[in-house]
Amino acid sequence: MRVFFATDIHGSEVCWRKFLNAGAFHKADVLIMGGDMTGKAMVPITGGNGSWRVTLQEQETVLDGEAEVAAMEKRIADRGYYPIRLSPDEMAASQTDPSLVDARFKAEMLGQVQRWMDLADERLAGKGIRCIVSPANDDIFEIDPIIAAAKLVELGESNLIDLEGLALVSTGWANPTPWNTFRELPEPELRERIDGLVKDVPDRRRAIFNFHAPPFGSNLDNAPKIGADMKYVSGGQALIPVGSHSIRDAILEYGPVLSLHGHIHEGRGAVKLGKTLSVNPGSSYEDGVLQAAIVDLDVKKAEVKRYLLING
Amino acid sequence: MTTGEVAKAPALFLRNATGLVKGWSGFDAFAYSFMSVNLVCLGMFYSLAIFAYVPEGGAIASIVVTALGMTAMAIAYAGLIAVMPRAGGDYVWQTRILDGIPGAVLGAAFGFVAVFLVGTALALGDVATYGGGVLGGLVGAFLGIKRGGLGFVLSATGWWFILALWAPIYGFILKIEFVQPLAAVLGWKAGVDFFGTADGTFAVSIFTIVVTSGLVALGMAGYARIQRWSLYVGLIALAVMFVLMLLSSQEAFKAAYDREGLNLFGVSGAYDATIAQAASDPASAYTGSELNPLGFGEGTLLLVPFMLFFLLYPNWGSTLYGEVRGAGDFRKVLNGMLGGIWVTVALAIVFVFLAAKTFGWTFFNASNVTYVNWAYLYTDAAPVVPIWGYPPLLASYLIDSHIIQAIIILAFGAWWLGWTGTLFLSSTRMIFAAAFDRVLPEWAGRVSEGRGVPWAALVLIMVPSVVLSWFYAYDANFYPLTLDATLVIAVTFFGSSIAATILPFWKRDIYNASPVARYQVLGLPLISVAGAISTIFLGWVLYLWLTNALYGIGVGNVNSILFLGALYGAAAVLYIVARFVRRSQGVDLDAIHAQIPAE
Repeated sequence: MRVFFATDIHGSEVCWRKFLNAGAFHKADVLIMGGDMTGKAMVPITGGNGSWRVTLQEQETVLDGEAEVAAMEKRIADRGYYPIRLSPDEMAASQTDPSLVDARFKAEMLGQVQRWMDLADERLAGKGIRCIVSPANDDIFEIDPIIAAAKLVELGESNLIDLEGLALVSTGWANPTPWNTFRELPEPELRERIDGLVKDVPDRRRAIFNFHAPPFGSNLDNAPKIGADMKYVSGGQALIPVGSHSIRDAILEYGPVLSLHGHIHEGRGAVKLGKTLSVNPGSSYEDGVLQAAIVDLDVKKAEVKRYLLING
Repeated sequence: MTTGEVAKAPALFLRNATGLVKGWSGFDAFAYSFMSVNLVCLGMFYSLAIFAYVPEGGAIASIVVTALGMTAMAIAYAGLIAVMPRAGGDYVWQTRILDGIPGAVLGAAFGFVAVFLVGTALALGDVATYGGGVLGGLVGAFLGIKRGGLGFVLSATGWWFILALWAPIYGFILKIEFVQPLAAVLGWKAGVDFFGTADGTFAVSIFTIVVTSGLVALGMAGYARIQRWSLYVGLIALAVMFVLMLLSSQEAFKAAYDREGLNLFGVSGAYDATIAQAASDPASAYTGSELNPLGFGEGTLLLVPFMLFFLLYPNWGSTLYGEVRGAGDFRKVLNGMLGGIWVTVALAIVFVFLAAKTFGWTFFNASNVTYVNWAYLYTDAAPVVPIWGYPPLLASYLIDSHIIQAIIILAFGAWWLGWTGTLFLSSTRMIFAAAFDRVLPEWAGRVSEGRGVPWAALVLIMVPSVVLSWFYAYDANFYPLTLDATLVIAVTFFGSSIAATILPFWKRDIYNASPVARYQVLGLPLISVAGAISTIFLGWVLYLWLTNALYGIGVGNVNSILFLGALYGAAAVLYIVARFVRRSQGVDLDAIHAQIPAE
């Protein structure tokens, strides 16, 4: 069985489209998206009557006509941001009323996830490729039912999914971060959650853990240290482990054949923890590059035959 | 569609999400660059110590010309960082950009030149030399046409293999800039003598390897604090040295040097004796020269490859500066590197002036050339004073107190301490990247469970470092290969400069999505213009290194060519073997960079 695992695409339209095509391209049997699907930023395109302005990456651009606006919207969406058209009045209102921004963010996230699920149903139809999506700490809870409702996409979070005799156990909950995101738990509670998910797995060696946060101190969790002012310490050179102790302990205790992680975009790599191969493909979604792990499993022996980290 | 200045209205709305940070300090970017372009450990040790070999050359002009070339390279690198942020540097940039026809052409040219030079060095004859060159070209084209091969060869040599040679060089710098001067002013004559031997050189190299490995084990977060304090202490020490030199006359220095020559080494009239030795020894035949501040005399351009020994590295620590989200961040990266270059250049020029004023230009060069000739075995005659005339040591003589002299030497040790920790760190990152790309075995990327120490990667760099340290200390033919250490890294940067040049045309989508796409010069992408200038500049320097006997490496030194051939050959063989081994395991390395269609 070949598993194609990607994660942390953060709203990048091009990365999602690559992800859906990856099954056929890399002859994978199962696609797994490890979460943090939704974008972090909205880019306002202001104006109207055929003339618009937008500032992307500190560069202001005046757009004339629908074709230029559409091209810019695609560029913004491929980068993982949400392009939103605003009239000058709407822009002024958004600057003074944060609730308008929050509502728009929510609408954009839900709208995109719905479009993505529709696209998945369209592209995966008749392919025989399974697709599992598991939201993570940066994703709002409201996207879960949208994923669950998709015809050809299975919701990973908290569901035990059988993959040719191997049990996929997923959670996007993570240990606490400085950003206080949606799905965070203190370590003891995170461990309880994991234990609760794993208790129904009959043979833990025949499990695949799809846990968003990487195990602590695994080299898959090295992130630039951030100071109290939320700036990188030492220019981003000072890397520190920020993974989860609970997840590390659970991997070492239960010994699944494979554990899949994301969360730390800089933490690309693969390590052996006990008998478990743990991988974090990292993320480079801003470049439109889909970083992923391809893992070939011998389901009879519950062994990893080979793996490859790719930049697709 | 038109573009203009940044609007005042919010450019984007952010929500609370992991990884959103407020950037990083521009000072940090400068500090890393500044410590990498290390005026004391690299500049004084080598670049600023060789003017006697090209006495008519314009010392200051050569520094400025080199800095101009490095400015172009810094712009190209800042552009690469902005286009592919957090990518990890040359390995990723080269493996992502250099493929297809450009990769094949570059690989073919590189393979041909490499094998041709080896054939020439071994005097194999025209048929074998040209035939081998063609074969090398074919292998190079094969490595270049697929993403991964050429990038691995250029990056593994520049960020891994050659750093094994840098380990004894770091050790040697520690020896002559710290251990021996400190032993001398503290009156430990046995120490001065021991560390002047091959055994002493080897011992300091091993110490360096242990310390550098220990700093990797400590982790960059811990080392960053050491670096910060090292920068402050080092700058204070440099300021003290400059003030001492500024306030002292040449006569006062001559008296101080003669005094300490007698006190510490038992040499009478050491100042004049040093000048006389430089003039009389055929190996140097340096009869004196004057510093011409605005001079661009004959040979000025020949000094440029020497100056690269310290000015080549403004980009050394610049690959992890977080996400470059816009032009402001791009400018911050660039300003950090340019600050590293040009502040160092300004300090180097001040130093050159002060050395001429206080030490005397002829004495300063004579002191250097007599030591270098002896250390490089160009002569059997030991210098009048048996240790190198380390400029901070010379300046410290102006204070007639061995305790204060020792404090000054200790303080200058901060320049080494704040610099040495990144030596193996770079190697371990390169080894990790290659292991994750399955070119190296899985175990090469493992870390210890306790502190996350990359022990396997450390072993892969420590073992060759110990071997090359032994050669460096005990093989007389090996020590003159010092400039090869710079050459190999320059080749890596040369490859990335080419990658920067072709990026806007070859990887259009990635480039157009980046914040540097707005910057143009005469209608051409800035990154391409800077990359092309950098490519030409580094290509010219590489040509000089390889063809001019002045540098002691290249075609004039068979050992140098064979050493370089072995390095690049080993990297190419390693990659090709990895492909076959992985294929036998069912792993297709080509799949790593295969572009998945979006539609």
